Amino acid sequence: MPEVLRRIVLEHSDEVAAKWLKEIAEKRKGDYTSSISTELYESTNREFVNNIFASIDHPDEIAKLDAFAERIINLGWPLSYITDGLQSFRRVTIDFILTESSSVETVEFSKILTVVDDWVEPIIKQLVNQYSGNWEHTVSLQRLALQELSAPLIPVMENITIMPLIGTIDTERAKQIMENLLEGVMKHNSEVVLMDITGVPVVDTMVAHHIIQAAEAVRLIGATCILVGIRPEIAQTIVNLGIDLSNFPTKSSLRKGFQSALEITNREIVNLDNSTNDMTDILDSLK
Amino acid sequence: MEIKSCVKIRKEWDIVSARQMGREMAKELGFGTVDQARIATAISELARNIYLYAEDGQIDYEVITEVNRRGIKITAHDNGPGIEDLGRVMEDGYSTSGGLGAGLPGVKRLMNHFDLQSEPGKGTTVTAIKWVR
Amino acid sequence: MRIPILKLHNYLLVSIQVDLDDQTAIRFQEDLLDKIHKSGATGVVIDLTSVDIIDSFIAKVLGDVVTMSDLMGAKVVLTGIQPAVAMTLIDLGVHMQNVPTALNLEQGLIKLRQELEE
Repeated sequence: MPEVLRRIVLEHSDEVAAKWLKEIAEKRKGDYTSSISTELYESTNREFVNNIFASIDHPDEIAKLDAFAERIINLGWPLSYITDGLQSFRRVTIDFILTESSSVETVEFSKILTVVDDWVEPIIKQLVNQYSGNWEHTVSLQRLALQELSAPLIPVMENITIMPLIGTIDTERAKQIMENLLEGVMKHNSEVVLMDITGVPVVDTMVAHHIIQAAEAVRLIGATCILVGIRPEIAQTIVNLGIDLSNFPTKSSLRKGFQSALEITNREIVNLDNSTNDMTDILDSLK
Repeated sequence: MEIKSCVKIRKEWDIVSARQMGREMAKELGFGTVDQARIATAISELARNIYLYAEDGQIDYEVITEVNRRGIKITAHDNGPGIEDLGRVMEDGYSTSGGLGAGLPGVKRLMNHFDLQSEPGKGTTVTAIKWVR
Repeated sequence: MRIPILKLHNYLLVSIQVDLDDQTAIRFQEDLLDKIHKSGATGVVIDLTSVDIIDSFIAKVLGDVVTMSDLMGAKVVLTGIQPAVAMTLIDLGVHMQNVPTALNLEQGLIKLRQELEE
């Protein structure tokens, strides 16, 4: 930064800061930050402006700015606090320098603009990078969490297994679900798998496609896949989208699906508690 | 790019050695059993195409490393008759050999990245990449 | 290389344990049809437990075997297809829709008996 400008800015740093703080405070009305206590807001603003001025003499000292950005991120303040703040800082500074300097020639004017830009831009860049780095980190953590949510396989009875599907299914997850499903069928030696989609919020063509593929793969390894938990709205979308599920069995509820699973494996549920008989006995005795 | 090797496809048995080679490499790279099967099957399809249509060609294997992922790159190239209609061969069920017509579109589904270049009379090059999950 | 075909009552049992190349697959197709013709078998179980790759060509040969045997009056059940193989077939777009399957040899035999009784 040219010495003249640097002196102007540094000597009047208090004035510039005051102007900026005033502008920021004005902006704050009806803003996202209105729920933050005034004290915290003002102290943060002051720290912010101090950091900006400090960067004139030490443009390479990024540790302080990083620490500041980390604090803002932890406070949960939006990125626009930083970008808006620096935007108005640039305006305030340019305004101030222009009123201070006597000559307002075009050449001089553009030089001032460039100088201030060179000063403020790196700060914006660095802070935004910090923010986006933080976001990317969060996103990757969430992706991991989603992967861990992959569908479990529950062997309920010899030769019968249930796989409840929960949440949105994307291609990556669908592949994983299919692997779990097939490995599980082999491991538990299940003749029938009930795939329960009660917990899947939306069944579009893509999700249906993955489910059909999984069911076909199950058939290839020699088991039967029954799709259960088809809610009315899901049945509607499936038909409206023209998805053909007629090739493999579907049931509205897990209970009905389990019933047909028992039929396929040649079994049935027998009621040991003969309370119904008791009832007829009672009725008979009344005769 | 690290390891690079290749298998020539001239005889029918070369198809088997080509896919065995691919499976070995996939295993060393840390692919799961399912992806190993996917890669080996894709190679099998590509090798068979060379054998059936060009009679002479080769399959190259490369390990590729990017900043945050590793993968295997399979390149099948030949100097055969080439493909007349690139759109048609990517359609499911289209076959000129009486097969299932699942070859090239199948390879595309088995791998993560797929590229097909062909010039009638000059030859065909297929590139396919699979990333380690 | 030839794939052995065993006879058990009126069933034929086949266990494929080699990496199938095209020639072996075609020869197996011929051998099996020949054996069905000679023995008059009514059911065939082809066990694929040790097969770790089925590409579209082998899939076609297997599918054809099933249809051809059907024509000759023998039901075929494929057993023991590995999960990785099944997923690869699905990705390839090969669904083998008209081919009966079972988890293992035992269940394959049960399935054959059921189908033949009907």
